[in-house]
Amino acid sequence: MDNSRKNSALPMLVVIFTIAISAAAQTKTYTPPKTAWGDPDLQGIWPGNVGVPMQRPANLGERTTLNDDEFAQRQAQAKRQSEADNQTFATSDTRAGIGPPSYWTERGKPTRQTSLIVDPPNGRLPALTPEAEKYRKEARGGKGMPGEWRGSADSYEDLNIYYRCITRGLLGSVIPVVYNNGNQIVQAPGYVVFRNEMIHESRVIPLDGRAHVNSNIRMYMGDSRGHFEGNTLVVETTNFTDKDAIGSNGAGYPGDPGYHSDQLKVIERFTRVGKDLMNYEATIIDPKTWTRPWTILIQMERNDNYQLLEYACHEGNYAMSDILSGARASEQAK
Amino acid sequence: MRRSRVLTACMLIGIFILPATAQTQRPATPNLNGIWQAVNTANWNLLDHPAYAGPMWETGAIGAAPAGQSVVEGGEIPYKPEAAEKQKENFKNRQKLDPEAKCYMPGVPRATYMPYPFQILQTGKDILIVYEYATSSRLINMGKPIEAGSDTWMGNSNGHWEGNTLVVNVDGLNGLAWFDRAGNFASDKMKVVERYTLTDKDHINYEATITDPSVFTRPWKINLTLYKRVEKNAQLLEFKCVEFAEELLYGQFKKK
Repeated sequence: MDNSRKNSALPMLVVIFTIAISAAAQTKTYTPPKTAWGDPDLQGIWPGNVGVPMQRPANLGERTTLNDDEFAQRQAQAKRQSEADNQTFATSDTRAGIGPPSYWTERGKPTRQTSLIVDPPNGRLPALTPEAEKYRKEARGGKGMPGEWRGSADSYEDLNIYYRCITRGLLGSVIPVVYNNGNQIVQAPGYVVFRNEMIHESRVIPLDGRAHVNSNIRMYMGDSRGHFEGNTLVVETTNFTDKDAIGSNGAGYPGDPGYHSDQLKVIERFTRVGKDLMNYEATIIDPKTWTRPWTILIQMERNDNYQLLEYACHEGNYAMSDILSGARASEQAK
Repeated sequence: MRRSRVLTACMLIGIFILPATAQTQRPATPNLNGIWQAVNTANWNLLDHPAYAGPMWETGAIGAAPAGQSVVEGGEIPYKPEAAEKQKENFKNRQKLDPEAKCYMPGVPRATYMPYPFQILQTGKDILIVYEYATSSRLINMGKPIEAGSDTWMGNSNGHWEGNTLVVNVDGLNGLAWFDRAGNFASDKMKVVERYTLTDKDHINYEATITDPSVFTRPWKINLTLYKRVEKNAQLLEFKCVEFAEELLYGQFKKK
């Protein structure tokens, strides 16, 4: 009697566990482990190198994922790019590249996501406000917004903030570029730190609900406050300068979202959707620049073997003196 | 049957309880979490010095160095003769040569005693230090020691606990950072052993032992106090100083 009851309990347990597991799989919820002090544990290295364009090609409409053919095309394109990166010698009919050596490049891994922008539903940047349109045309007498490079090199101020190694700003620091796309999350009691390899950022985010610093204090990376909603870390950042861009390359490239105003607010949501997958969503709210808020999604794949290296950008910045002195030399030659 | 079930139950309980007991029996790791800052004149000059004028008369008293006492044990940096000469040259040309003037990363140990706060974050495993100056940072690996890759400004940090002291071995430094605005320097052969000891909840005794046989005749030691920033609203702000150094670095290349 005793024995048979014991034996029947096991299959029952298996059934219950199976139901629980399949239910969890259906709703796709993943429960991350907790830190020693009880916060959801998001720690690890989460490189953001996805091969997904910022804006969606118009012909894809409101489609958020590529079909098999389109995905195969994106992969083929990535393969061609990687072959070009790995060319050691320029053939006689090609111009020698001036890019970094091939072993530097870490181009994004193509995924089926049609665009980083997931809202508006067409995956495209919303329209600029008339005020922002006017500012973009007229700033610094047409030389571009502060920190934007439109080709002149009269002064260091003509070059963009990325070339000047100042920072890539809050969103730019997360958006993948050609190399050094490492991100790392470090947690301690009461804090989360989001580290970005490129140019080197370590944004310390307090979780204690304190108020933002006074609006007289302006920062390129803004002033961040975080809290957990369930297992999602929600971070609200304000107190930005109006001197940096939101964009894949920091500033001034075609298709870049470009400059924001000092009214910018960014709301980021970090959600572990699997052991090794993090959804990073950022909503950009800047009524002075864009006619509506917009949101990007980067799916970060965890890779604890990835090593964030010291990106001593400014310390090794020969580009600035070379570009400026080159411009002076070419004026002299004329 | 019954006995075996009791045994199984005991074993199961044991599995859950034992590690917990082991944890509580281990002495608690000192809590270095917080925002810290040195309150001394080490960043002007590690050694005993009277007040002196700054390198530019235009900045008046604002650019002057406050008087201060040595944070170097014994009050002397044991330079080799040629290195002592180089330090004097560095001092003369400090306005142009000091990496701080150029907004370069501060290196170790200078990052610790610059007049800017820094934050220690204990993750449970590794320890992150974020410095306000130039947004520099370093992750102290608390696991199996990692060998330095190429040399860097902030170096390669491997840490461990010796009793209540966090001991950090720093190598892989590129030797381009200075120790202070007085031109004290080392080379890329430098190794630093740091010791962080909490003396009470708001003070850390900080020691840094410097070894570099190519510049110094013997190892020497910095010893100073770090103070916790106890203000309720204390937080690191942004000191991205590249823009402040651009005229100094690139002004000569501007269109006249």
